[in-house]
Amino acid sequence: MKNLLHIFKILIIFALPIAAENLYQNLNSDQLKRLDYLSENIRCPKCSYGNINSSNAPIAKDLKQEIANLIEEGYTDDEIFNLMEERYGNYVILKTNITENKTLFLIPLMVFLISILLVTTYTIKRSK
Amino acid sequence: MVTRYFLVLILALLVMMLSILSLSLVQTDELQTIKTQEGKKLIISEKILDLNGNEIPLQSLTEGKVLLNVWASWCITCLVEHPFLKSITESKDVKLIGINYKDQNLNALKYLDRNGDPYEFSIFDLSGDISLKLGVTGAPETFLVVDGEIVSHRIGEVNLKVWNEKFAPYF
Repeated sequence: MKNLLHIFKILIIFALPIAAENLYQNLNSDQLKRLDYLSENIRCPKCSYGNINSSNAPIAKDLKQEIANLIEEGYTDDEIFNLMEERYGNYVILKTNITENKTLFLIPLMVFLISILLVTTYTIKRSK
Repeated sequence: MVTRYFLVLILALLVMMLSILSLSLVQTDELQTIKTQEGKKLIISEKILDLNGNEIPLQSLTEGKVLLNVWASWCITCLVEHPFLKSITESKDVKLIGINYKDQNLNALKYLDRNGDPYEFSIFDLSGDISLKLGVTGAPETFLVVDGEIVSHRIGEVNLKVWNEKFAPYF
């Protein structure tokens, strides 16, 4: 009898990962990919060192579930980002918006182009 | 000739970088963190129950000045701020309502039994759904709601310093 109980316990332990896989069972594989992308790019509001995929805080799990629900309801990625930004502020969006930070992306490009220009003119002058 | 240009350019770049660095050091505004919910409306669409299972009309939250405190029996910082909340409700005319966040009913009641109950009542929020929609990130958090609008929001512990800064002007 006792052995049977032990076997039953072991069976339950093996059943756990199966239950875990069915967390977001309403989503198809495309939607799961979107969920992964979104939760990789939204910061956990409680523990700001990581995104909600990497965090174990209750709020991160709740947010991931909420995002899953929103995806199921047909919200687009941008709409979900906006919703999160509206609630927690720009700080939680980890994806950098290129149009809003043009200088950030342009300065390295400019430095690169100028240096190429200078190096080529320098080498051409020297070879003469 | 070109080498001189090159040197001047590098120097200029260095000066620019240094000036940007020094500017960023001087401008020590508040670091950007999670936005508080100040200025937003208090939106609760779910049915709300207190710890004993009685249904609560939403008007009790949206009428007048209400201090909403998110707490849980598992939350250590809540225990730290608990005596302060008690002293505030005793010394001032404050309507303090709790939101019991992701907590077991029995544990919550035991916690209030042991540490005293400064709350008029506590909203039972086992799943955390009500709090999530409010923009709560964890426990403890405190909202001051005036006529259904959040005017002050503290993420973290409330003590005398924070009280004087964020909540005292309204009382």
